[in-house]
Amino acid sequence: MAIDYDVPSDKRLLYWLGDKLIDYRHPVSIVVLLVTAVFAYWGFQLQLVTSFGDLLPQNHPYIKIHNRFSGTFGGANNIMIMLEVKDGNIFNPETLNKIWKMTEGLDKVYGVNHNQIDSIAHRTVRYLKVAAGGTMRATPVMLGEVKSQEDATQIRRVVHNAENIYGLLVSLDDKAALIRANFIEGRLDYRRIFDEVNAAVVAPYQDANTEVYVAGEPRLYGWVYNYAGDVFFILVITYCIEWVLRWMYFHDWRGALRPTITGLIAAFWGLGFIHFIGLALDPLMLVMPFLITARAVSHAIQMHDRYYEEFEKSGWHKRRAIVASFAELFVPTLSGITTDAFGVLVILLVPVVMLQKLAITASWWILAITISEMLLNPVVYYYLKAPEPELVMLRERGGFRLAINRFVKVLLTPAGKAITVVAWLGSAVVALYFLRGLTIGDPTSASPLLWVDSPYNVSHQKIQDKFGGVEPLIVVAEGLDKDAMKDPLTLRRMEGFQRLLERDSGIGYSFSLADIIRAVNSVFHELEPKWGVIPNNWVDIGGLFFIYFSGSPPTETAKYVDPSYTTAHVTFFCKDHKGDNIRRIVHRCKDYILGSQLEDLGVEVGDDNGAVVVKKISSDVTWEKAGPSWIVSEHGKEGEGPFQVGDHIVKVGRAPVTDMASFYAAMTKETASASLIDFGMQRGGQVSETTVGAPWKAVFKLAGGLIGTLAAANEELLRNDALMNFLGFFTMWMIMLFTYRSFAAGFYLLAPLLLSNIMVNAYMAINNIGVNIHTLPLVTVGLGFGIDYGLYIVSRTIEEIRIRGDLVDSVREALETSGKAVTFTAVTMVISTVFWMTSNIRFNAEMGLLLAIWMAVSYVGSQTLTPVLIVMMKPRFIMKEANRAPTLTSV
Amino acid sequence: MHLTIWNSVFIVLGFSVVVVLLDEFVVKGWRHSKWERKAAAGDKDAAELLRVARSAKVSEE
Repeated sequence: MAIDYDVPSDKRLLYWLGDKLIDYRHPVSIVVLLVTAVFAYWGFQLQLVTSFGDLLPQNHPYIKIHNRFSGTFGGANNIMIMLEVKDGNIFNPETLNKIWKMTEGLDKVYGVNHNQIDSIAHRTVRYLKVAAGGTMRATPVMLGEVKSQEDATQIRRVVHNAENIYGLLVSLDDKAALIRANFIEGRLDYRRIFDEVNAAVVAPYQDANTEVYVAGEPRLYGWVYNYAGDVFFILVITYCIEWVLRWMYFHDWRGALRPTITGLIAAFWGLGFIHFIGLALDPLMLVMPFLITARAVSHAIQMHDRYYEEFEKSGWHKRRAIVASFAELFVPTLSGITTDAFGVLVILLVPVVMLQKLAITASWWILAITISEMLLNPVVYYYLKAPEPELVMLRERGGFRLAINRFVKVLLTPAGKAITVVAWLGSAVVALYFLRGLTIGDPTSASPLLWVDSPYNVSHQKIQDKFGGVEPLIVVAEGLDKDAMKDPLTLRRMEGFQRLLERDSGIGYSFSLADIIRAVNSVFHELEPKWGVIPNNWVDIGGLFFIYFSGSPPTETAKYVDPSYTTAHVTFFCKDHKGDNIRRIVHRCKDYILGSQLEDLGVEVGDDNGAVVVKKISSDVTWEKAGPSWIVSEHGKEGEGPFQVGDHIVKVGRAPVTDMASFYAAMTKETASASLIDFGMQRGGQVSETTVGAPWKAVFKLAGGLIGTLAAANEELLRNDALMNFLGFFTMWMIMLFTYRSFAAGFYLLAPLLLSNIMVNAYMAINNIGVNIHTLPLVTVGLGFGIDYGLYIVSRTIEEIRIRGDLVDSVREALETSGKAVTFTAVTMVISTVFWMTSNIRFNAEMGLLLAIWMAVSYVGSQTLTPVLIVMMKPRFIMKEANRAPTLTSV
Repeated sequence: MHLTIWNSVFIVLGFSVVVVLLDEFVVKGWRHSKWERKAAAGDKDAAELLRVARSAKVSEE
């Protein structure tokens, strides 16, 4: 049936569209239902999967190093298992045999790298044994199960004399042993690893005197998967409460059902799309689908409320009410959805695959709301029986409506307006003060994914307490040529690196090839401590390495050094992964690496008014010309060389040098693989280029291990956080510009949002919630929350001022109608989001609470600050519409 | 009880049906008689509400 009544001329097309949707309701609903059925089918096949590689910024130089060497030197996916006895020590047959069987059990767990298991019961952990005839060979500490106390005592003697075991794999009080294993990144099945470790390594060996603690990233994610079922409880309880609340608000079951249909259809489209493009759900991202569904439900409540209002206005004419509510809410709903969708899409900027996938899927999901909320909406209403007029009128006479009216009356008084502005400004100032404490990375030593008293965090803490640090930072020493790791200078640099960083409070202990060579040298010289040093020449070092590694296959020795002795590593075991600690430790690493290179070059440089200047030349390093290049030589003359005090270094390689940071970056890039380095130097006003032969045999490269990967992720987040926030706001402002054709509209809608953003970030800082790879997408989605609320208020104000002509009256009406639905939406969403606090996954619980706070603050802003600013500043984009009620016309 | 996707779906669907039936067959009648009682007791608002509701002609088209 065509529209046989007059409609506002400026929305004629929307009225026509709404009417046509009802005319073609059967084909529209069949098509939508068929597509939804396909998406639903795909959606039910979705699985919970976390791909570790997707969590890393793959283009970051640290991750490139991590990827190259994680297979040999160890990656970020280590499991640490500590066996601890309450009485006595571990050196008895019963306990040692437990360690033996646990190590065997761990070796059989799916995905374990069999050559990267560290345990006194594993074949790769050896000590030097002097055999008959004075020969020496490296023998595993345990060759089999222990049969007698004498054998156990012998093992204890071996452990106490092995620098690479005592304190590292056996605690200094002999009460605990550590088993460490690395997992192959491509074969990480967290759930399976969790179950197999429990069955084969933990459960059979715990008794009254023995405790087993397990920590490490695969275990952490195993717990997360174990708790992921919580989501169903939260989903069920939230669904039921939301249904009751909507039923109470609308006094009608249709009001409870209709938003559910919108949410479900959008959810099927979203979940199906995730499966369709070959992705999976991460258990730590479960809050995200919940939130998007909540957005869909929120839009549907607005629409339903408007439908009832139009039903009464139209004289109880169902079809007219449906078309009018569709046409009148089309603009704010579409603006809200596109703002949310494009706001999330800015996450694409962060070069982390998981976040980029999330940006695409979340944007699609949000855009799918347009189908369920706008396309299908008139059709669903038409199919449903119209509500009884009594119910519609009851809705307007309830206590909720009266409370809203009273609040609006107070808000729009001069005192109300003044209090609103002062309260918001005051809160913003306080929030800005606390905002300084916001951390990029994790702010605490416990894993923020689980509660502090969770079995995982308790285990992690116990292992930390017993063994110092357990979270590895791997710095690779890559030689320029083979046998570089036999160079005494390289080994001394490794040793110096260890000693320097061990002074940092965040480092528990460290390990490198230098430790092995010192220990072997000492054993070779009948354990005399004075021989526990790095020999001075290649021949002695090569001989000692031969003695130690000769009995081991290359697959076993590869975790220390590659078979050609070109590359090895220095591993620092950190006490925690706090963002600040990681930043400090990485900074110290960079300082040491650059400092040692400059020392080898015999120069000291410093910052001189922004320029990098040679401050001092060392007399220990002498140079001679070799063709066009300078090389370090014993035959060189003092005073000659490529550098002079006062030289300004303006370029290294092709990279310009402007300050110390760019100097470090240029040196890192230029020295990565080259043995000749070009320096551009300004001397006496002239710029010249000098080529210098690298005096070192190996270069230290950052960084692998858990700490290395976290450092890379934190650096990327830090680099992109501000840009993402800016682009998020800019996108919203642009959409406001198109929606209201006004530059100022963005200010009225985004100002409360900006203040909410500051307050929520301050809350995160106060509550030790860091910005990391998991929190960032949720925080970004939260950014768009408030804008929807404001959009409905502003659009309704414009609608009203066209008829009423008076700004205050129009704002009052907008707050009492759209504002009432916004208030109800906000209250229900906050209540339902708060149920995430019951989750065993602390991350989900904290994110739930955080988003509940965010929604609440954004809501308060849209209901107080936005209308007060509009009333006080009388924006032109609203005022120009006064008394310009659109003419009525036929469609 | 350990909740899975399927028993969760069963619970929420069951709950929805219970609410719809409760509203349609219990609460609606109770609500109507409550307003009639109020109107009979002299409540002007209730009387007005019932008058408008009774005189309203709902068009389903």
